[in-house]
Amino acid sequence: MISTFFQNGALDTPAAFFASLLIGIAFGVALEQAGFGSSRRLSGIFYFQDMAVMKVMFTAVIVAMLGITYAKAFGWVNAENIYFLPTLYVAQIAGGLLFGIGFVMSGWCPGTGAVGLASGKIDALVFLVGAIGGSMLYNEFYPLLAPITQHDSGVLFVYNSLNISEAVFAFLFTLIAIGCFFGAEAIEKKRNGKSNRREISFLKIFSAFLLPAAFGLFALAEPLKTASQAPSAPSTEEQKEIKILKGIQLGSDHFEPQELADRLLLGDPGIVLVDIRTPSEFAVFHIRSAINVQVADLPTALNTYKNKGLVVLYSNGMTHPAQARDSLARLGFQNAYFLTDGLQGFLDTCLKPASLRSEPVSSAFAAKINAWRAFFLNSKSAVRKTENFSKKTGALNLSMLHLPGLVKTDWLNKNLRTTGLKIIDLRNQPEYSAGHIPGALSLNKESLRGVVQNVPSSLLPATILAEQFSLMGIHTDDFVVIVSTDTLQDATLVGMAFERLKHRRYAILDGGFPKWQSENRPLDTILPTVKITSYPVPKQPESFTVTAKEVLAAMDKPGSILLDVRPADYFTGKKRDEARGGHIPGAINRPYPEDTLIQQDFRLFKPISMLTAAYSELIPTKETPVIVHCRTGHQASQTYFVLVRLLGYKNVKWYDAGWTEWASRPELPVE
Amino acid sequence: MNPYLAGILLGIALLASYLILGAGLGASAGIARTGAYCELVLNPTRTLASKYFGNWGDQPLNYYLVFMLAGVFFGGLISALFSGRNKITVERGTKCKPQKRLLYALIGGIIVGFASRLANGCTSGQALSGSTLLLTGSLLFLICVFVGGYATAYFVRGQWHD
Repeated sequence: MISTFFQNGALDTPAAFFASLLIGIAFGVALEQAGFGSSRRLSGIFYFQDMAVMKVMFTAVIVAMLGITYAKAFGWVNAENIYFLPTLYVAQIAGGLLFGIGFVMSGWCPGTGAVGLASGKIDALVFLVGAIGGSMLYNEFYPLLAPITQHDSGVLFVYNSLNISEAVFAFLFTLIAIGCFFGAEAIEKKRNGKSNRREISFLKIFSAFLLPAAFGLFALAEPLKTASQAPSAPSTEEQKEIKILKGIQLGSDHFEPQELADRLLLGDPGIVLVDIRTPSEFAVFHIRSAINVQVADLPTALNTYKNKGLVVLYSNGMTHPAQARDSLARLGFQNAYFLTDGLQGFLDTCLKPASLRSEPVSSAFAAKINAWRAFFLNSKSAVRKTENFSKKTGALNLSMLHLPGLVKTDWLNKNLRTTGLKIIDLRNQPEYSAGHIPGALSLNKESLRGVVQNVPSSLLPATILAEQFSLMGIHTDDFVVIVSTDTLQDATLVGMAFERLKHRRYAILDGGFPKWQSENRPLDTILPTVKITSYPVPKQPESFTVTAKEVLAAMDKPGSILLDVRPADYFTGKKRDEARGGHIPGAINRPYPEDTLIQQDFRLFKPISMLTAAYSELIPTKETPVIVHCRTGHQASQTYFVLVRLLGYKNVKWYDAGWTEWASRPELPVE
Repeated sequence: MNPYLAGILLGIALLASYLILGAGLGASAGIARTGAYCELVLNPTRTLASKYFGNWGDQPLNYYLVFMLAGVFFGGLISALFSGRNKITVERGTKCKPQKRLLYALIGGIIVGFASRLANGCTSGQALSGSTLLLTGSLLFLICVFVGGYATAYFVRGQWHD
């Protein structure tokens, strides 16, 4: 099997950029050679003048389709190393119709527009400017349009939609293409009065190659189907399809509500329950411990659970989750199921009070119903159990991957007056009052932590943090810039408070207040007026923290990394502030000051390249489970920020209680 | 060039894209990201806070399809120079005023830019690359492009009258 940039998650690397540039050049040359640097030629198809668009596009589609189908049949590529666009019926139909209108009006499409510009066409330049404007317009309307772009039907293949085999469809498609080519030649002959002999003879030879190539797919598909009976058969699309179909017939793709309820009640860590309804529906009610993922995001969001544990999808009914499950199965998920009869079925089967049921209920089952009701409907009882459990099911912090972790002083200066930007100054009151960044809110980081369950210096619970941020007038959609001095861990600790509230729009001012001041940027002594808001407490349990128990469990798991970020003397036990010195067995020491440097009197995070190099030696992949800790959680918040926000590690957890707790609990092992 | 030969070349470029990058060709994403970049320069906070462009972060141009679009331009330039097809002009029918043709190009461009985002791709990403994988939605998009195009063609034919 070949290895693609997409499969390695490396599409954002310079190597992929370079490869894209080269492929783009080949693409551009092909388009230009086809004569698509001319809008007149492109529009020709709509007036039956020049059928080149159809000939070129259909030829390219057939050639690449046969290439891909053969590559799949030989096992060179599969659903893992190629990105498949999901089907969004409404968006693609509406988008296609609109696109056609724009295409015929302008005479260009995006790719040919770029070639037209290269060919000196002023109308292509105007078209491209318009297309940029159209994209901006879409951005403005996106909040309105989001619902139709989010409700997709997963990855659908047309041969499945039509219920025929891939080989049959590919063969028919090739036949249709050849028919269209000869039809196009006939149309052009009628228009021009004479036929293009050279083109037609080329077409005849070309067709003579295409037909056997398309027919050969049957020969390849057949033995694979019979081979799929044998256990050692190679994994292919066809085989997957057969498996999926068999699963549907046997009903083994269903997951029964009672079994789900039992497993969740027992705190089974192996179940990943996914609610694919809209966020608003999810907010109203969801099965406890479920995570909310839109269908389009499923493959990425669930990638870490591929063939690990049980992935159970549900929605109101069964159609959408069943389709989503099949798409996941096609992507190689052998552990995806959907909930029989959906959410409604779950409510009816498990949570409907025994007294309201039409059929008699045994006393044992009635007791079960009561236990389920207590667990799933009462938010107070069994909270700890679910909290621990959902921590295990992991973080799905997708949206934060694209946010900047740091902002520059120059950027902040330009955006000082923007609404929706909040600046938080962490210096002491006298310094703040003597001069602060205009509009900056004052915050003492100590007001965010305290003694929780007798562990000192713990980040306070979400309810208290939400109250704090309400008093500061912060809204959920504010972009927050945190300003500290040279103790960067103060800023990252405040970042953890935002993480707890699931507020991902925060960044740290690079160089902090000292850099701002040294650049003689504006300062203010006026207290900004604040209108108190009502910052909501997140309903979903958090997933970025771990308890001592979970650290203990991770110690035995091969492949997970425990990072102790305290200074080396504390790690070795030479120095200690607690009952016991040393470190958690198996932990790796990476002192937090090693992630920063001093440059022109400012403390800054080291350049990303240096951090990437350093951490790639400690942590094998971005998906590796990592737990960071220090003494009180303060220093470790800095490492968490570096790993998650600057380097994009996806599976990092913060052990807030840290050494303070670990050292004082004699039952926990120390090295 | 013979259109079938050009089509074979294009098909090979597309196949290479799938086998090397693991993703198909794309052009409209590069255009949209240029738009996001322009907005970022003008008003970063608003752009980062916006629900669509905001997802692309503060460096929207660091994306493989942006580089591919640049490649398309250079590829087109090389080929046009070699074939002597580079002349600065407004392409139109002789009876059509340049202003009218440019107005059509602008409005059409706006519609295309918007529609490409809505459908999550354009003729390159959906019609060409998606259809190659026999994806239901992409083939529907392709059919709808021609339905929309043929339905409108009559009303804008004036720009090509000689």
